[in-house]
Amino acid sequence: MSAPELVTLTIDDVELQVPKGTGLVEAALAAGIEIPVFCYEPRLGPPVGACRMCLCEVQPGPPKPQAACTLTAADGMVVKTAATSELAREAQDATLEFILVNHPLDCPVCDKGGECPLQDLTFRFGPGNTRMTFPKRTFEKPIPISPAIALDRERCILCYRCTRFSEGVAEDGLLVARNRGAHSVIATFEDEPYRAPFSGNVIELCPVGALTSTQYRFEARPWEIQNVPSVCGLCPVGCNITATTREGKVKRILSRNHPELDEGWLCDKGRFGFSHLYASDRVRDPLRQLGKRRFEALSWDDALDEAERLLRSGPVLLALSGSETVEQAEALSRLVRQGLRSDAVVFPEQASPAIDAFRAPLSAIRDADLVVVIGDEPVEERAPVVGLWIKAARRKGAEIVTVGVSGSIAVSPGTAAEAVRSQLADRIRGAKQAVLIWSGPGGAGGETVAGLARELGASAAFFLPATPNGRAVVEAWKAGTEDEPERPDQFGCLLISGDEAANDPGVRSLAERADAVIAITMFADPLRGWVDLVLPGTSYLERDGTMVNLEGRRQRLRRTVIPPSPDELAWIAKLAERFGVEIDPHARAVSAEERAPLPARVEHAEAPTKPAPPAQPTARGGPLRLLRYRPLFSGPAVERVEELQFQRPEPAITLSAHDAQVRGISPGDEVVVRSNGTSVRLRAHVDRNLVDGAVRAAEEHVRQLEGAVEVSTS
Amino acid sequence: MLLGKPMASNRHVVLADADQHDLTKLAEYEAVGGYQALARARALAPDAVIEEVKASKLRGRGGAFFATGMKWGFVPKPDQIPKPHYLVVNADESEPGSFKDNEILSRVPHRFVEGCLITAHAVESKAVFVYVRGEYTGPYEVLVAALEELQDRPEIRGDVSILVHRGAGAYICGEETALLESLEGKRGQPRTKPPFPAVQGLYASPTVVNNVETMATVPPILAMGGEEYAKLGVENSTGTRVVSVSGHVVNGGNYEIENGMSLRSIIDDLGGGVPAGRRLKAVIPGGSSTVILKGDEIDVGYDFDSLTGLGTAMGSAGIVCIDDRTCMVQLGIRVSEFYEHESCGKCTPCREGTRWMTAILRKLEAGDASQSELDLLLSVCDRIIGKCLCPLGDTAAQAVASYVEKFRDEFQAHVDRNGCPFGESSPLHGVLAPVAQGAHQPAAAVPA
Amino acid sequence: MPAAPRDLATEIEAVAAQYPDRRSAIMPALRMAQERYGWLSPDALREVGQALDLTPAYCEAIASFYDMYRLAPVGKHLVEVCTNISCALVGAQQVLETFESELGCRAGETTEDGEVTLGTVECLGGCGWATVVAVDHHYRLHVKPESVGGIIAELRNVAGKTDGE
Repeated sequence: MSAPELVTLTIDDVELQVPKGTGLVEAALAAGIEIPVFCYEPRLGPPVGACRMCLCEVQPGPPKPQAACTLTAADGMVVKTAATSELAREAQDATLEFILVNHPLDCPVCDKGGECPLQDLTFRFGPGNTRMTFPKRTFEKPIPISPAIALDRERCILCYRCTRFSEGVAEDGLLVARNRGAHSVIATFEDEPYRAPFSGNVIELCPVGALTSTQYRFEARPWEIQNVPSVCGLCPVGCNITATTREGKVKRILSRNHPELDEGWLCDKGRFGFSHLYASDRVRDPLRQLGKRRFEALSWDDALDEAERLLRSGPVLLALSGSETVEQAEALSRLVRQGLRSDAVVFPEQASPAIDAFRAPLSAIRDADLVVVIGDEPVEERAPVVGLWIKAARRKGAEIVTVGVSGSIAVSPGTAAEAVRSQLADRIRGAKQAVLIWSGPGGAGGETVAGLARELGASAAFFLPATPNGRAVVEAWKAGTEDEPERPDQFGCLLISGDEAANDPGVRSLAERADAVIAITMFADPLRGWVDLVLPGTSYLERDGTMVNLEGRRQRLRRTVIPPSPDELAWIAKLAERFGVEIDPHARAVSAEERAPLPARVEHAEAPTKPAPPAQPTARGGPLRLLRYRPLFSGPAVERVEELQFQRPEPAITLSAHDAQVRGISPGDEVVVRSNGTSVRLRAHVDRNLVDGAVRAAEEHVRQLEGAVEVSTS
Repeated sequence: MLLGKPMASNRHVVLADADQHDLTKLAEYEAVGGYQALARARALAPDAVIEEVKASKLRGRGGAFFATGMKWGFVPKPDQIPKPHYLVVNADESEPGSFKDNEILSRVPHRFVEGCLITAHAVESKAVFVYVRGEYTGPYEVLVAALEELQDRPEIRGDVSILVHRGAGAYICGEETALLESLEGKRGQPRTKPPFPAVQGLYASPTVVNNVETMATVPPILAMGGEEYAKLGVENSTGTRVVSVSGHVVNGGNYEIENGMSLRSIIDDLGGGVPAGRRLKAVIPGGSSTVILKGDEIDVGYDFDSLTGLGTAMGSAGIVCIDDRTCMVQLGIRVSEFYEHESCGKCTPCREGTRWMTAILRKLEAGDASQSELDLLLSVCDRIIGKCLCPLGDTAAQAVASYVEKFRDEFQAHVDRNGCPFGESSPLHGVLAPVAQGAHQPAAAVPA
Repeated sequence: MPAAPRDLATEIEAVAAQYPDRRSAIMPALRMAQERYGWLSPDALREVGQALDLTPAYCEAIASFYDMYRLAPVGKHLVEVCTNISCALVGAQQVLETFESELGCRAGETTEDGEVTLGTVECLGGCGWATVVAVDHHYRLHVKPESVGGIIAELRNVAGKTDGE
């Protein structure tokens, strides 16, 4: 790329050069000068100039103050902010006076108090007194716009950041401005909640205390808190976050803008998914099964004795969750492979290094001119932020093609890769920057999409894994030790790492074949009756370590609070000692970077490309093929967060319009879904894009069912 | 549609022949030479049409008075921006005091359509949108009937589509970028400029936005030639203007005048003057958003330069006469309430400031205001002026501030006497504005 | 969600097809829904949203911005008195008060029998022919307090006839 063209301008008597097209707010910032703003937020799209906080004197221009946020730096431009211009000072003072006319000034009881742009800007630029002599506008308050978000309309200054986010970033269209003029209010439709995966971002966007988190309401004052930078460990994106803690407890999660990765957006699972740390069924002490349904607490010494005894009882099989840190996976690998001489492991998912050859930052999606999403699972359910990047690409003019069971190119389950080859090859080859995204299931850990990218000349490819750290965990297992123990023919003891593995039906059925079961989990209730020993697990918020996200970015997880039980690494090290293995009980800090960089692309020598085996086509009129997906709002954490319950999908099954029609099913009907003698009752949804012969349901609603189902009204 | 009696005037151009013929009928319009200017224009290259309009020195009749030919010239050529080009006609006439476009659409719809087709040719547009204010049922029906008459006249329509889009009651949509937002199916809130509509207008494509009267003036310009048209009127305000006269006059109605005619003559000779026994106290010269004139300031030419010289404007040519029984504080309340009601709510000074203005004016009228609050009123106006996103707030504050400045004694009397010296004898006493009636219930509001 | 009756959805579809962007059809679509149902109920907003692939929240954001869309039920007939300056200067308030007393309801209210909703509106664009009253969206010019009785009688007659059919 050639060097950007520079322009020279003057701001408050400081002459500076900035790249042409730089916004005045950023240009001033480069010179260390503040132009105050409320509505301005470049991530929300073009500036709107609504709040008028940024009024400055700008020459050349009309002889009145200009909204600096709407202007870009130009050669010879002379800008005077409130610091040097009486016109600008008076204008900014006026804007604040108008804003404060109806603001309740209830700062002492406002959650935003102390970290509020309105307070800060009033302090720096506003009037010191009020001249207002009529009653302020009053509203019923606070109004829950969802179980997670409260709206105080009196505090609202109508900057429209939240509605612009809803309309122009998340594109959910659920949070809007109602009425006109001074009667305008922020609202959802009727009493319906703001139910969308990114709703919580409006809390952070709000420059006043109008939109607040119900979780954080009255929980802390800004001077009592500590903010710890970390990354989210709940999905493979690894959005950068800040955990706000007070007195050793996580009180809220905020986004921490990584421009290549998340652009400062955080999904509601990441934002609100922390109160499960304090759930009543959290495992604090080791537990041993006592009778059929009960556990008894053990001391750590007894627990390690018991663990040693069980591990020695027979060949060990380890089941991993994919949410472990690299260091945890390595420690478990050394314990099992080196200490117990077993190579038996159940990986959370397939992994392949082939994808590294097409590595790119997620922001490359936005800059593409063609984005092809391949696979049968909705992107938002697997890696929500990726969905935002795709929307951003479309807004920038990219063509978006989805290939899957309900894609813009709708194909039978499992045949997406072939369809890309046969229907999109020319368009991908012809694009300037084509990005391919694999959104499950299958895909051989990214090998399939990497093969397509190589074959069709795509500029980047992404594989959306099912677990937060799955690939790194697989690699850590292999790298943990150079020993190459035997894979035993059968196993006696099943060691389960993590709540996700413990809740996996496949792992559950393995447990039935084991003599002894040990689980490392945060929650014990689902383990009653089948796990012999529960060792307390921790949350990603309680761990130090390394996570590798779907781009291949190695990010540092920081311990934001002390867990109620010892760290896994510490006691795994102690346990490993008993088997003659030495393990570092501390995670080494892998990255000191505030925002982790993306490693360079790697061409792996052995990158075989073989098309995924085509799935069996289903006969028309016969049984329907059940496609399960794991909803974003599901899992052990979500299940325990009160504020996320409304986000969980209702028990439903989605049919194609044709399949619904031939069965006499209307959208919203209660239907019976049967397979091999079992049945569940679900609500019917109809998706006009879904291919015939396939039905889709959330995994948690169809656990008992098998791959082929019949759906009927009774 | 029932309109006023035939118009007295000194020169008919836009409304020529409308008193003698039913020009809503295609046949009658053609009989007086209708659509011949279109044929002439189409024989010319687009640039030549623009030159003709430039020669006429026509300036936009919607209120901003921008040179029409120059505006058309700003539109990039199709090869510069290979997107559809749009012509959008602003028929969202909503300025209190102005009702000229109502009359033009109702009486000379074909001249208007002809102007649209000529303009479409000049700016190389194939799609015309006419945004008619929602309340104008009558003009809408006349216009639709006129367009239907053209259904079987492909030689007139050419390959240009004309779609009539009806508003739904929002004054702000008269502002061109708000109108474009509304036409795109959004809330009618103004956009920041730049980008200007000529480059990024409707659907982010090059767009010309013109007023109804401007469109209806184009065919006569093409018919008589730009230079000939420029001989009408006065320098900087060539041609004619349809002015709306209302309020305390004997003969309210629209009159087409040559620009530069004296305001006194418009009021007295055309409007019949103030009803007997009363005195002209004030005149709003160009719609409610313009600075008011005192009754003795009307010996002025009704043209751009003359009115600008008096610190006011022709605006949308709505002349409202106010007699000596009328309380200027009450006028201020009514005007302020209107702008408060119509403020789109996007920018802070307009949304909050207009509401504050009304509140202070109400206190003055009720006799509850102190001296400092009278000063505060002017300060609030001053803090709105020049700070807003679009002209709505600015002009509202300028108008109200002008009442205080020109009738300071009367405002002072409200403070000194702790109440209104006019009381119920003022015709504006107790008028119920929609904003006070609460046309939109503030959602979930609790009475203060 | 209620299924859109075929004819409204089809009507909306026909209008939407005339615009380069379907979203532009929301104003005509809301008008059509209102003409059909009398007002824009939550269900009506859902129906319009479904037809144009917009959320009901978005439809309400639009509907509540413009004065002519009704988000609460109204009477069979609408009487809207312009009380902006030109009409007010020549007696609009007296016209309004006459309507109020003869209809027995205040501005902003509907008569007890649900026949007539009375309201004030901003400038209707007939200032020289004041007072302007829009009766079911058609203008009556030069309305005086003494013309009010006739207008109401006319409405009641029309209403009576409609009921008798």
